[in-house]
This record gives sequence, structure tokens and C-alpha cells, in this order.
Amino acid sequence: MAIGIVKVKRNVKMTFWERSYIPEVLRGIAITSRHFFINLVGFIPAILFGKERKIFTVYYPEERVKYPDAYRGRPILVLGDDGVEKCVACGLCERICPAFCISIQPAETELDKERYPETFTIDQSRCIVCGFCEEVCPKEAILMSQDTEIADYDRKKMLYRKEDLLVAEKDLRMRQAYVRGAFARWNY
Amino acid sequence: MDLIIDIIKILFIFTLIMGVFSPILGWVERKQSALMQDRVGANRADIFGFTMIGLFHPLADALKLMTKEDFIPQGANKVMHTIAPFISFVPALIAFAVIPFGGEYIIHGKEINLVIADLDVGLLYIFAFASLATYGAVIAGWASNNNWSLLGALRASAQMISYEVAMGLTIIGVFMVYGSLKLTEIGAAQEDFFKWGIFLQPLGFVMFLAAAIAENKRIPFDVAEAEPEIIAGYFLEYSGMKFIMFWMAEFIEIITISGIVTTLFFGGWNIPFVPTATLISFFSSLGDTWANIITMLIHIGVFFSKIIFFIWLQMTIRWTLPRFRYDQVMKLGWKILLPLSLLNIFVTGVVILLFKK
Ligand code: SF4
Ligand code: SF4
Repeated sequence: MAIGIVKVKRNVKMTFWERSYIPEVLRGIAITSRHFFINLVGFIPAILFGKERKIFTVYYPEERVKYPDAYRGRPILVLGDDGVEKCVACGLCERICPAFCISIQPAETELDKERYPETFTIDQSRCIVCGFCEEVCPKEAILMSQDTEIADYDRKKMLYRKEDLLVAEKDLRMRQAYVRGAFARWNY
Repeated sequence: MDLIIDIIKILFIFTLIMGVFSPILGWVERKQSALMQDRVGANRADIFGFTMIGLFHPLADALKLMTKEDFIPQGANKVMHTIAPFISFVPALIAFAVIPFGGEYIIHGKEINLVIADLDVGLLYIFAFASLATYGAVIAGWASNNNWSLLGALRASAQMISYEVAMGLTIIGVFMVYGSLKLTEIGAAQEDFFKWGIFLQPLGFVMFLAAAIAENKRIPFDVAEAEPEIIAGYFLEYSGMKFIMFWMAEFIEIITISGIVTTLFFGGWNIPFVPTATLISFFSSLGDTWANIITMLIHIGVFFSKIIFFIWLQMTIRWTLPRFRYDQVMKLGWKILLPLSLLNIFVTGVVILLFKK
């Protein structure tokens, strides 16, 4: 017996019309050329009357899609309304981070929260944007942003220090609401 | 005087093909595939913010490929590796020499025949050079010292030899109908709309187009390149200018195929229902010379519009059909196209015997 020759039973029943190939080729060409001609004239109403384009390609750097609230971009630190970062340097995020990319240097402060991060560095080249830090933080001090453009030419520039990470709280209401909704059922 | 006219004709064809058609085809390929697939297509290359719907992309391509390193892999046969792109590029270009892009016109009492070389064996010349192009692929694949290239070259040679047979035989019907191998005579014989090759040889047209696309190794017959299977086949190890030459050879061959198909099956430079004499007499109020010149320009325009249509058709086929498997390509060539073309010759012969006194 010939080795390893297996006849695959394909479950395709083709009529004679389909098997003769040429008519089906013509049908395929008709479909593609219909798209071709529709798109060929399709940009005219868009230019003349400012109608919406049929083609849904997004011209990326000039146009952007709005990401949903649940989107996880690079993590950022929340700068409270009182002008102080919310983080209390408890180190939970540092501990949970699966990529070990957060490093915190805690220090004492006269403020109510008593502790604050003297330095807070996220190595963006290692962060896997998992969102664990956001989930574990007891103070809602670290949130995932919508920013995805973190590429750089130099690894040293990928180290984001505290000053680079701080974002005012008023810009983060959406994400805050989302986080509260998403994690509420675990009763933190 | 004759020499000057010949040089003008050569320059005209050369600039039109090398300077206009083949760079623009690179753009057409991208833009048309984009339109067919509901995308936007190339529109990023810009000069001072003007993108010109992507027309600068061929320019950017040329600049990029010219400044790239011309890499010859270790262990490759340097001489062969260098001449292979020329071997596939030159035949594609000079095949256009025998394709007439207009009829005969009398300008200042001088007869002007719009073909560079009016050979008695025009079509055989085209076939001869089409088969030379096979060597380009084979030598390129062999000289690259790369397994994938060798596989691509093997496939290319097998495929091109198979389809050469079918292509040659499909054309015999055309010779029989028009009784000539001279492309100018075949073109002139199609002045009457109902004598166009497509009506006299419909099966021949379909088979010739299939065989010609297979000769050019384009999808659906591009098993010799087959990016997902053997990466890029025979020109895998090429970069820079040599790569661009393979690329251009393919585009020029598209134009040549369109030219041959137009001449053989779609009436060449003739306009349906408008014979040349009618056209000349329509402009006769301008004087004989001007009537001839205007007719000539119209015919050249008509010929190249037909070519553009066939380029469009080939592009549409390329972006519509998926690639055949290698055994399917072989089966199509030997088991379907070859018998069908023999049948075509037989039927044509019988019909000519019966209806020609
Ligand atoms: S998102 Fe994940 S990987 Fe990135 S800093 Fe937070 S825990 Fe670490
Ligand atoms: S878990 Fe929150 S509060 Fe604790 S160190 Fe991280 S960011 Fe600061």
C-alpha cells in the first residue's frame, strides 16, 4: 500500500456549471469590478457634498477612532483635585505587576495620607498593559489611559517617571466611573 | 529620413512603456486592488503635502530601490545572478517592436507604417522572445543559491514550457483565419467589426488570455512566486535595481500581452464600424496630410485605450482569483488547454474548408 496517501473527502458538491469554472470566474470578476466602479465614483459625493465616505478606512494619524472606556492604554497616575498625587506608595501595584515594571521609592509626608511616592517609575518597554495595577490599587491612584503611542527610539526614554505619569483627575472621570462600575461587585 | 522616423517610433514606444505605463502600473495595481477591496490604497507619499491620490508612490519606490544595497548572496553565481534580471527584462520590452500601434498613413507623400519592425514572422518573434524570458526566471533561481529560489525556478520553467505549447497552439487558429503571421496584416484585416478575432476565434481568445497570464506568472498562475509557499520564488534573493527589473518586466509583459490580445482579437487600432477611409474622408476638408495625421492620432489613441482596458482586465483577474495549486496549473495546461486548442484548430480548419470556396 502506498504510504500516507489519504483521499480527503471534501464536502463540496459543485454543479456542472460551477465545475466548468469560467462562468464562476466571470461572476467573481463581476463582483469585484462592481466594488471597483462603485468606489471609483464613490469619492465624488464625499468631495463635492461632504457626504460620509463609504470606505471605512481611518486615515490614522489625522483621524482617530474613539476607544471604548474599557480600553487599556498605558497606565498613568492620578493627580488629585487638590494638586497632590493620590498614590500612597503602598506598593501593591509594584507587587502585582507581572512584568515587574513599576518601581516605587516611598517617603513620608506631612499630609493626611502620610506616605507618598518619592519616585514612581514605570518601564513602558516592559509593561504589558494588563491593568492589574489599576485593579489592585486601593486609592484609585493608578488608571489605564487611552494613550497607545508609546513607541520611542531609545529604551531609556521608555522609563516614565512620576512627572510623566501624572494626569489631572478631572480628565479621568470616564475611566474612574468605568473602574468603579467594573470592580464594584468585588466590594473593595 | 526612414531612420529618423524609425527612431521617433522607437522613442515613442520606449518612453510610453518605460516612462508612463510601467511606473503608473505600480500605482494602478495598488489603487485598483484597494478600490476592489473597499480600501483607500496608497496615498501617503507626498511632496509638500500634495499626495496626488498616491501617484508619487512609484517615485518613492524607485528612489528607495535605487538607493538600496545591491545584495548578492554568498555562494551565488555572481555573473549569472547579475545577468538574470536583464534576461527577463529585455525580451519583455523588445517584444513590443512588432506590435503595430496604428495602420499605414500617407503624410507628405511618405508612407508611414506605425510599427517599429514589420516582420513577416511577427508572432513567431514574440513567441521566441517570450520563451527567452523563461531563462531569466530559471537562471535567477539557479544562480541565487537558495532553496526557495530553485523551487521557484523549477516551477517557473515547468509552467512556462507547458503554457508555451498551449499558447502557440491557440494562436494557430488566428493564423488560419487571417492567413498571415504579419501582425500589421492581421490588424488591417480586422477593419470590419465582424471580422475581429474575438468573433472568429472566441475560444482562442479565452485560452490565449489564460495562457498569456500563465506565461507572465501572475495570479492565478503565480506558483513560481507564491509568496506564502516559497516566499517569492526565483527573485527572492534580489534587491535594489535588479529587483525593480523583475518587477518592471512583469508590468511590461502585462502591456505586451494586452497589445497582442488587442492586435489579434480586438481589432488592433481599428474603431468598430468606422473604417480608416471614412475617417480620412471625414477630415478631408483639412487637406490630405492633416486628415492622415489626425486619423493616425485617433488610431493610436484607440489602440492604447484598448490596451488600457486589457490591463484593467488583467489586474481585475489578478485581484479576484486565488492562486491555483501547482498540480492544478499543470493539469489545466496539459489536460485542458492543450486538447482544447487542438480542437480549436480542427474546428477552425473544418469551418474554413466548408465556407471558403
Ligand atoms: S499594566 Fe500590568 S504590566 Fe503594566 S504596570 Fe500595570 S500591572 Fe504592570
Ligand atoms: S497601588 Fe496605588 S496607592 Fe499603592 S503604590 Fe500603587 S498606585 Fe500607589
